[in-house]
Amino acid sequence: MTPKLAFWLRRAGMYVLLTAIALVFVGPFLILLSAAFKPAGQAVFSFPPDVIPRPPVLTWVKEAWTTIPYPTYLLNSVVYVGVMVPVYIIVSALCAYPLAQMNFRGKNLIFFAILSTMFLPGEVMLLPRFLVVSQLGLADTYAGVILPGLLSAFGIFLLRQTFAGVPREVIDAARTDGCHELRIFWHVMLPAARPTLAILGIFGFISVWNSFIWPMVVLKDSAMYPIALGISYLAGVTGTDVRSLAAGTVISILPVVIFFMIMQRHVLEGMRGAVKG
Amino acid sequence: MAIHVQESHAPSAAPARRGRRKRDVRAPRSGRLPGQRWYTPYLFPLPALILFGVFFAWPAITAIQLSFFDWDAISEPVFVGAGNFARLMSDDRFWTGLGNSLLFLVGMFPLLVVIPLLLAVLVNQRLPGIKTFRMLYYLPVVTSMVAVGVAWEYVFNQQGVLNWILTGFGVLDQPIQYLLDPVWALPALVLVEGWKSMGVFMMIYLAGLQTIPTNLYEAAKVDGASAWHRLRHITVPLIVPYIAVTLTMEMLEAMQVFTSVYVMTQGGPQDSTLTLGYYIWSAAFQKYDMGYASAMGLVLWVLLILMALANYRITKGRTVTP
Repeated sequence: MTPKLAFWLRRAGMYVLLTAIALVFVGPFLILLSAAFKPAGQAVFSFPPDVIPRPPVLTWVKEAWTTIPYPTYLLNSVVYVGVMVPVYIIVSALCAYPLAQMNFRGKNLIFFAILSTMFLPGEVMLLPRFLVVSQLGLADTYAGVILPGLLSAFGIFLLRQTFAGVPREVIDAARTDGCHELRIFWHVMLPAARPTLAILGIFGFISVWNSFIWPMVVLKDSAMYPIALGISYLAGVTGTDVRSLAAGTVISILPVVIFFMIMQRHVLEGMRGAVKG
Repeated sequence: MAIHVQESHAPSAAPARRGRRKRDVRAPRSGRLPGQRWYTPYLFPLPALILFGVFFAWPAITAIQLSFFDWDAISEPVFVGAGNFARLMSDDRFWTGLGNSLLFLVGMFPLLVVIPLLLAVLVNQRLPGIKTFRMLYYLPVVTSMVAVGVAWEYVFNQQGVLNWILTGFGVLDQPIQYLLDPVWALPALVLVEGWKSMGVFMMIYLAGLQTIPTNLYEAAKVDGASAWHRLRHITVPLIVPYIAVTLTMEMLEAMQVFTSVYVMTQGGPQDSTLTLGYYIWSAAFQKYDMGYASAMGLVLWVLLILMALANYRITKGRTVTP
């Protein structure tokens, strides 16, 4: 065997392995996809699996779309993402700037307060936070869903890390030029942190789009459901065809999957910064 | 602090000069500059601090308070002292939940701490199209647990693909209804939870691997070290700080499993998938047993902190920098 042949064989074997593993991660979604487009006469489950819909039909997509108020849920999720992602990034950045670039009394206290939220896991906070939100009259409102999700220790840490890397001279130069702190924040710090902001945007989008437990606890009125909660609702509607549930689920993950595929090149960089931080 | 020390050392300096010297000598990176008001550094974190106060500090205090009361969310709360904690000690379902959560912790360890490291080594190779594979492995991470739960119910179906594979290879004689079987339901959920988060852990390791200088591997190769030896003696020691991160994350995640249980089994069959997270939720929002739910939440909270501390103690000092 020539070295060249050995090289190509090894490479081919590597791709077989990589593809087999990929199938493990993508397979369950392919099964959903297949079920979503199968006609009523074709079995969803069989030995051996019969995955190609013959012919593919849109019946189930339409049924899922009308069984639950699908467009409303999609729109709700768009609203939650559109409001929460920019606001949480701004809140995080505002908090991170003085933590990174100013000295003041109580700085460590603020830092540790934010740090402590990482050890107040969502599961534990679910009930007491719901009680507080109820007391504030925010139960069953958009605000009740949105407000508690705006503080992110992760975002603050990542941005503090990034802001700390902005050279002191740049900020001092802006200050000597008579720049207001808010202007420095907006025109110096935020542009310098653009890659980090992108990462926070991506992770924020994914987590808000998929949010489930907190909206479920806060919302009684299903008209305000985000899409993930809508899918769980669809699954609970008696008599929902497995194909229809599959169709509804596929549509629900499509926007976030497409968004991720477009933005994925930023993710690894973000991980690198996050773990270092 | 800085101001105090400065004053005691230079009591005679003129006020104007003193201000300048303080910055020049004691704290060259000190923040406050002429024209900056003393409260400026506090205005920026204000929104975050308000959110912290309202949605973290206040609920945390509420939880501690409530854990000493019996309250059904309608009538007046009744003070019961440590009654909720005593009740918890003799509550079989609490111990079942704790046990199941620990099973998740153990079961998800290989899936989230070990296998992702191997995956990261695999996708850290320089191959055409490797980024596509990374993305595909990460796909379950970006989808909602609800969608993942639905997808895996199809996989676990009696006539589903898993049973087809396992009976086909002769591993099983009969198809199993995984989610309806008290023995198999928990392992099935462990698999789903692990499968969904593997990508995150792989990416963390990948970030770590890319900080290891490649010449280390080349030198080892020249010395004749096998792939296994390179993994064992270069990769693993250098990746320990990242293992500390993944281990903490794995514990936090495993101890809080909720959505997969809610979507796929509702804690059944026969409480075999009743996790602590699910039991707390159920006590609070299905039985309106607010005080008891709070007490269990506090116990979970303390457990998580203890685990994080233990993990910190164990991995601390083993950090190796290249």
